[in-house]
Amino acid sequence: MKGKKSIAVLASFLILICVAWATPAFVAEKSPYKIGVNLELTGPWAEVTKTVRMAMELEKDKINSAGGINGHPLELIYEDNGFDLSRAAANMTKFTRDKEIIAVVGPFEDNLQATTRALAEREKITNIIICPSNPMVRGLKQKWAFNIAQSDIIVSQKLVDLSLARKYKKVLVFHAAHPLAQSLAEYYKRFGEAKGMKVLIAKETHRPTDIDMTPQLVKLKPIIEQEKVDAFYAATAGPPGPILCKNLRTLGVKIPILGTHAFGFHFIIALGGEAMEGVEFGAGKPVVPYQLDENDPVRPIITDFDKRMKARYDMGIDQIAGHAHDAMALIYDALKRVQGKVTRANFRDAMENTKGLKSCHGIYNYSPSDHDGLSKKDMVFIRIEGGKFKRVKFPGLE
Amino acid sequence: MDLWAHIPQLLTSGVTLGAIYALVALGFVTIIRASQIINFAQGEFVMLGGVVTFYLLKGLNLPYPLAALVATGIVITVGFLLYISVIYPLRKAPTLIVLISTLGASIFLSNTSSLLFGTLPKALPPFSGERPLTIGGVSIVPQNLWVLGTTVLLLIFLYLLSHRTLSGKAMEASSTDPLGADLLGISRTLMVFLAFGLSAGIGAVAGILVTPIFFTSYNSGTILGLKGFIAAVLGGWGKNTGAILGGFVLGVVESMSLAFIPSGYKDGVAFAILLCILYFRPKGILGSPFVDSRRW
Repeated sequence: MKGKKSIAVLASFLILICVAWATPAFVAEKSPYKIGVNLELTGPWAEVTKTVRMAMELEKDKINSAGGINGHPLELIYEDNGFDLSRAAANMTKFTRDKEIIAVVGPFEDNLQATTRALAEREKITNIIICPSNPMVRGLKQKWAFNIAQSDIIVSQKLVDLSLARKYKKVLVFHAAHPLAQSLAEYYKRFGEAKGMKVLIAKETHRPTDIDMTPQLVKLKPIIEQEKVDAFYAATAGPPGPILCKNLRTLGVKIPILGTHAFGFHFIIALGGEAMEGVEFGAGKPVVPYQLDENDPVRPIITDFDKRMKARYDMGIDQIAGHAHDAMALIYDALKRVQGKVTRANFRDAMENTKGLKSCHGIYNYSPSDHDGLSKKDMVFIRIEGGKFKRVKFPGLE
Repeated sequence: MDLWAHIPQLLTSGVTLGAIYALVALGFVTIIRASQIINFAQGEFVMLGGVVTFYLLKGLNLPYPLAALVATGIVITVGFLLYISVIYPLRKAPTLIVLISTLGASIFLSNTSSLLFGTLPKALPPFSGERPLTIGGVSIVPQNLWVLGTTVLLLIFLYLLSHRTLSGKAMEASSTDPLGADLLGISRTLMVFLAFGLSAGIGAVAGILVTPIFFTSYNSGTILGLKGFIAAVLGGWGKNTGAILGGFVLGVVESMSLAFIPSGYKDGVAFAILLCILYFRPKGILGSPFVDSRRW
């Protein structure tokens, strides 16, 4: 009796093994190209990275249902870094150790990027950075890191154009106390003064965690009045933007406020309410999908993406979703151009040779000396009016 | 530049900030007065008050007053649950363990909030318009007056509770003399249970009041809790009046310091004050019934 039982067990094991062996034969599919995604899926950016993930999934499914890349499907492997430096680094290392992973997308936050960029350089793997990055790191001319968001340089150039179009002669800059905001302030001053403007950078700064900016603004108010400043530039991102707009209006300062591209999110308007009316800034095209020119080369891409996002997730696109879309578009484009076997090295070379790729945020061009991709032409001027983003155009300027 | 011209406006800003710290500190003190437990989840009650009201208002479209009321009720329930599930099972454990467990509860509450309500900051509409009032060159948002008024009302309420009602007195007795309270037949468990509900309620009210001025997100409870704790120590550990005074002193000093030092050091000021107080007057400004009798 006992012997029979063990034979039965053995037989079932054998059958199982045979089945497992045979399975790959039924799925005659080429091996997938794997892309690692290193994101802040938990922590303060969880809601934003959720959008990134949804947009990337949407694009992945689109690519795969169209037959993948020469029959190879694309596979995304997500790792959550929890807004934590060491976990971001650990994820990056894990991805580099997995020989099948061709490139890594993310992370999001400035200081996490700095670490993964260094790892990417050492381990020789492409790192696609989807968020504007620390100028000190970006300035290192790295070989393996590609930035896909608008850099601080073009954002500042765009804003100088806006200031000139509005005929602002003197602008006061109040920036956040972190390197990206600081460099936005400095580039704005440099480009603005080259065009004959006068730019004052306030000595006061604020932190991303400040909940009340009144004390700083109280000190700036006399400067605004005495120097007859034409506009106030809030070089900041996230909640401090609406907070300082509110505080400034409460103090009775009525001059126009200029913002950064980070103002181009609906939650910013929801937070600031009435105080946000009239704020102007330059931002990526996905902020106003249906207000772009009819002949804009990327308009069909943006509207199509917006419709697909609405159909699947019931939410419109924003700049972040646009970045996620573009990351996938760039990967797809580069993979298609790789000759022969896809390796990390020739994927990087293909990525660097991206020329004139039209995607949500504009037209991407990379070269060995330029890993920033976008240019000033890929941004539009936005004004907040009636609680909505409204595109403004000036003759002679885009 | 004329420094003194800024002072009135900075003072106004500081008083509002102070009122908020004072409300959080009151929550700490309410529990301390009943049980000697430091509840580090106090800041989370404030966060929950704001976030839950926002959800009821925008997600379920309840009218504002009802949303605020229901949210306060929910947060009070959370306070009770916190007591039942965390504090009560540990009632015989040393204070340090209870303290760590409240820290754990704080992390649990903030992460649950991030999962349920999302991580983006939320703003409630102000109670009565956004148009600032200008009094003698100083602009004040009406909401600031709401915060101040409520702080005063809560203080009066707590005073009446602890001086005029039996349960308030019993609550205090169970902390100052546990053995005596036991002998008199006061159920200490019940008193601490009530104190947790009360403190959660105070926190929720604070959260609802501040969300129109400052934005509340799932992680804003931590820093508010810390500042409230400093305020409570500063004013005099375990005294309602001390908590209020400590809150105002902290808010005003933090805000005024900006007139003299660069804004980058703003957060450091609070901790510098705390250190000075702990060195030179550990009892806090108004003195503390607990610190006095136990260690100094």
